[in-house]
Amino acid sequence: MAAVIELHGVEKSFGDHTVYRDMHLVVEEGETLTVIGGSGQGKSVCMKMMIGLLFADDGEVRFRGSEVSELNYEGLRALRQKVAMVFQGGALFDSMSIRDNVGYALIEHTSMSDEAITARAWECLDMVGLGQDRSLLERMPVSLSGGMRKRVAIARSIALQPEVILYDEPTTGLDPSNIRRIGSMILKLQKELGVTSVVVTHDMPTAFRVSNRIAMLYERHFPFVDTPEGFRDTQVPEVRNFIQGRVRDGA
Amino acid sequence: MSHFSESAKNVLASVGDVLTSGFGWVGGVCRLLWDATIRGARRPFGIHDIFYQMVSLGVRSLPLATVMSLFVGMVLTWQFGEALIGFGAKNAIGYASSLALVRELVPVILALTVGAKMATGMTAELGSMKVSEQIDAIASLGADPVKKLIWPRLVAATWSLPILAIWGNVLALASGAVIADIVFDVPADYFYETYIDELWPSDYLSGLGKSVVFGLLVGLIGCYQGLTTKYGTEAVGISTTNTVVATSVSILSMDFILTTIFLPVS
Repeated sequence: MAAVIELHGVEKSFGDHTVYRDMHLVVEEGETLTVIGGSGQGKSVCMKMMIGLLFADDGEVRFRGSEVSELNYEGLRALRQKVAMVFQGGALFDSMSIRDNVGYALIEHTSMSDEAITARAWECLDMVGLGQDRSLLERMPVSLSGGMRKRVAIARSIALQPEVILYDEPTTGLDPSNIRRIGSMILKLQKELGVTSVVVTHDMPTAFRVSNRIAMLYERHFPFVDTPEGFRDTQVPEVRNFIQGRVRDGA
Repeated sequence: MSHFSESAKNVLASVGDVLTSGFGWVGGVCRLLWDATIRGARRPFGIHDIFYQMVSLGVRSLPLATVMSLFVGMVLTWQFGEALIGFGAKNAIGYASSLALVRELVPVILALTVGAKMATGMTAELGSMKVSEQIDAIASLGADPVKKLIWPRLVAATWSLPILAIWGNVLALASGAVIADIVFDVPADYFYETYIDELWPSDYLSGLGKSVVFGLLVGLIGCYQGLTTKYGTEAVGISTTNTVVATSVSILSMDFILTTIFLPVS
């Protein structure tokens, strides 16, 4: 399979805190790659580098062969129409209705009419299982539950029919039924839209369920990348400890 | 002796840190102004967003601007009146208060109160958006946060404050005339004539020029503080508090600089 996103020899630090050292990761066309690892290790940083919200101090971050850090303003705009990101808390715009939130990228990048944008917003909401009550379009984000906010955020990310969706901890803070629903949605979007997905999560059942491959962030790079089956059967102590939630001796 | 030199080193290091962060802050604000000017000037100009912010920042500040202007006009006229009575020159009350109000007090008081209100509002809003990753979300959707969020606020603040200062000048004159008439028995129409008589167009322009610069400062500081908010809800509170301090100090410092420029011209 062709590589969509490639990170090679990436170094990234914030002040004295080094997040990545000689990090390599490849995301292949059409797959769902799940990134796991301890809290605060920089999994979200990895995603933000993929979409050009952060830049590596050294090394290469490439989208379909183009170096992200060398893209100009227009190049980054084009990249972000192809790569969408779903943020941890949803990051819905508080001052806008759900219709305007979901249609934001359409307003920004297309010359679609108001009616067409509303229709597309409704279509996207329907895809994420929120197509029961049309009054939702006029509601404000503050009136939604956590699970609904995440699903609206996913609807917003698919409005422009991206090639890649980056999910930053999509199941954090949700109850088990909503976690399952979000997992189903990731699978459905991959199947129906053919998108490539990168999922950052701590939730191992979701990781095993939705992934084609799993990458574990450990000591500032990804030494363990394998299929879910490979991760389940692994004898590598660091991976087993993480998956089974064991605390290392002395940790 | 070594203890003394160690203390001196610490003091120098602290001064160095303060200077470094101060220059960094000024550099950051200048960089934001540059980015906003370059990116904001591209089409589309975001006229709708600018008007929305003008309503939000300017129109909604009208009550506060009105109250501040009325009181500053009354208090200053009263103070000057009391001083002039001692010289038997109470009829000069219009001459005395006009320059101080138009050139100095109305623009500065409005910048310190209404401006601080605008700046803290911007910091709180942008800071909350930063903390909840809404600013990153705008960028990730291919839009430009500087163009979408900063440019409209800068333009709106730069326009709103001088417009409010014009309104404030009218009210300060009116409230001063009331005090002159009621307290000092100087007829309001005489107060008005002497008030207007003393002023040249350059006096109005220097007052308005100050308001334009103060408005720009208010917008820049409010936005910069919001964008540089660290993570966590506590950080929004810290940024907002710092905005009040930074706005007040910047406005008074800039007032001194502008006065040294405008005074010889006036």
